[in-house]
Amino acid sequence: MRRIISVSLLLAAVLIVVPGILTLVGGGYWFRVMTTIGVFSILTMSANLITGTTGLMSLGHAGFYGIGAYATALLSTKFGWPFYLTLPVSGAITAAFGILLALPTMRLIGIYFAVATLGLGEIIHVTLLNWVDFTRGPMGISAIPGVTLPGVFTASDTTHYYAVAITALIAAFVLGRLTHSYYGNALRAVREDDQCAASMGLNVVGLKIQSFAFACFFAGVAGGLWAHTTGYISPGDFRFSESILILAMMVVGGLGSLPGAVLGAVILLGLPEFLRPIGDYRMIVVGAVMFFSILFLPRGLLGETPVLTVVRRQFGLAWDAKSNLGWRQ
Amino acid sequence: MTPLLEIKNVSRYFGGLHAVEDFSGQVQRGERVGLIGPNGAGKTTLFNLITCFTPLSAGSVFFDDKDISSLKAYQVARLGIARTFQNLRVMPNLSVFDNVSIGALGALGHSPFSALLHHRNYAKDISRRTWDALEQAGLQGQASEVAANLSYGKRKYLEIARALALSPRLLILDEPAAGLNDTETAQLGEFVMKLSKEGLSILLVEHDMNFVMTLCERIMVMASGRKIADGTPQEISNDPVVLEAYLGSEEEEAA
Ligand SMILES: Nc1ncnc2c1ncn2[C@@H]1O[C@H](COP(=O)(O)OP(=O)(O)OP(=O)(O)O)[C@@H](O)[C@H]1O
Ligand SMILES: [Mg+2]
Repeated sequence: MRRIISVSLLLAAVLIVVPGILTLVGGGYWFRVMTTIGVFSILTMSANLITGTTGLMSLGHAGFYGIGAYATALLSTKFGWPFYLTLPVSGAITAAFGILLALPTMRLIGIYFAVATLGLGEIIHVTLLNWVDFTRGPMGISAIPGVTLPGVFTASDTTHYYAVAITALIAAFVLGRLTHSYYGNALRAVREDDQCAASMGLNVVGLKIQSFAFACFFAGVAGGLWAHTTGYISPGDFRFSESILILAMMVVGGLGSLPGAVLGAVILLGLPEFLRPIGDYRMIVVGAVMFFSILFLPRGLLGETPVLTVVRRQFGLAWDAKSNLGWRQ
Repeated sequence: MTPLLEIKNVSRYFGGLHAVEDFSGQVQRGERVGLIGPNGAGKTTLFNLITCFTPLSAGSVFFDDKDISSLKAYQVARLGIARTFQNLRVMPNLSVFDNVSIGALGALGHSPFSALLHHRNYAKDISRRTWDALEQAGLQGQASEVAANLSYGKRKYLEIARALALSPRLLILDEPAAGLNDTETAQLGEFVMKLSKEGLSILLVEHDMNFVMTLCERIMVMASGRKIADGTPQEISNDPVVLEAYLGSEEEEAA
């Protein structure tokens, strides 16, 4: 019962309340802002699986985001594929790339893993920039069709909002089940002490690869959404600075916390929009918000431990709603 | 019947240092075996070799007649060897329940798809194993606490509970009584005894001689990486070689 209420409230908020408010405040532009926030929510939720839950600091997420975006752009402009094919296929392609590229880094830990993924992100960026025959290099790819279903709906800011919102809900559902279940405990064990986790029978390399695969899948889908909703992509969209932005959203919201990832995206992208009237000062405010939130809430605005308990209880992911811990047979 | 654990001529070198050298020994089914020796004798290293936590330099280890020398640590754990660590390795940010569920996850396997599909029977099995282990270790009351908030003594039990959730056949304890007071040590002895009575084989390292002598049926003594004695507590306490090894190390420490 509690679960039905929570799910209904979440769906109502994302599918009715938010678009309602956006329409009231003038539509168009605000829908585009919210679409960007949605794309970055997916990116941050997925990066959070690797960095927050499994504890591997990834600095190359924007690279995978880029692979997904280019896969979608090419599939839809060259072959005319519709969004419901490009998005999952781009996700799968990105996941495959992610696994291939990540395999050699699986033995690395801490800062070494971070630097290796930073290198991967740069390789991807430079490849997008220089493989002109395939990616059109710095000119980027334009005239990417929007999200349409002939006869049902056509591409518009509202359609794009709904496409991103529904995908974000799916991502939240999948990533939520992965991280709030017992499987999530296995991932967190890898983060807390990978050697000890192995001594307890956990296949640590397998878990790392799996979390990389799922995270890259959604990074690819987010890239696909970006391509469809903006209609134009270029390598500049997928630089190191985007990876850092994703990392900042994750840390401000709370490492390992799924709602935190969304909140981080909302704050770091929404705040500059709200503060547009104060001009360039707004980035100072954004910086200050980041600085002080980390200073006073180092575990993030929605820290992992309490959020796990609440989400497990509210969304029925705990195995016993009463104790919130597990079934007593 | 063949022994549950058979260690055959095992060695481990760290550069020029022979941490474990040509060690052979056994643990019979249902037996409680103690491993003692001065600091730096190589006891923890030997445990790491048995659990494939560190690779062997030479020799082989058999568990239940199966050569486990080339397996990975998680495979050894799944076969039924669970361990605790000398320097207490609980996961401080996870709840007590979640900590113990790690052992259950190790035993039952972990697939992202069972999480996605919300497999109820799998989840039930994990819960049941976790609760059983928590109850065995008397931690059911603290299940929802964050592990970091437990007392040191309770964290020791938590580590054992996590190992028990694997439903092991051999439990390896590295200095379980270290840092405990006399009362707590006595309670721990009773707890290990109870586990042993339930059929679990035990191999443990402990510096508290009283603890080892009363608990273990057989004791292996190690010094400078080698086994220097193997026998009942009675035999060991009267063995001149053992006395010399301990006195010798004390002299070195004094020097
Ligand atoms: N990873 C390592 N690299 C280098 N030397 C090591 C390593 N691990 C252990 N050693 C060395 O091997 C020797 C045996 O160490 P080990 O920890 O096995 O002793 P121990 O018998 O468990 O001692 P204690 O009773 O103090 O726990 C020591 O000299 C130690 O310094
Ligand atoms: Mg030791």
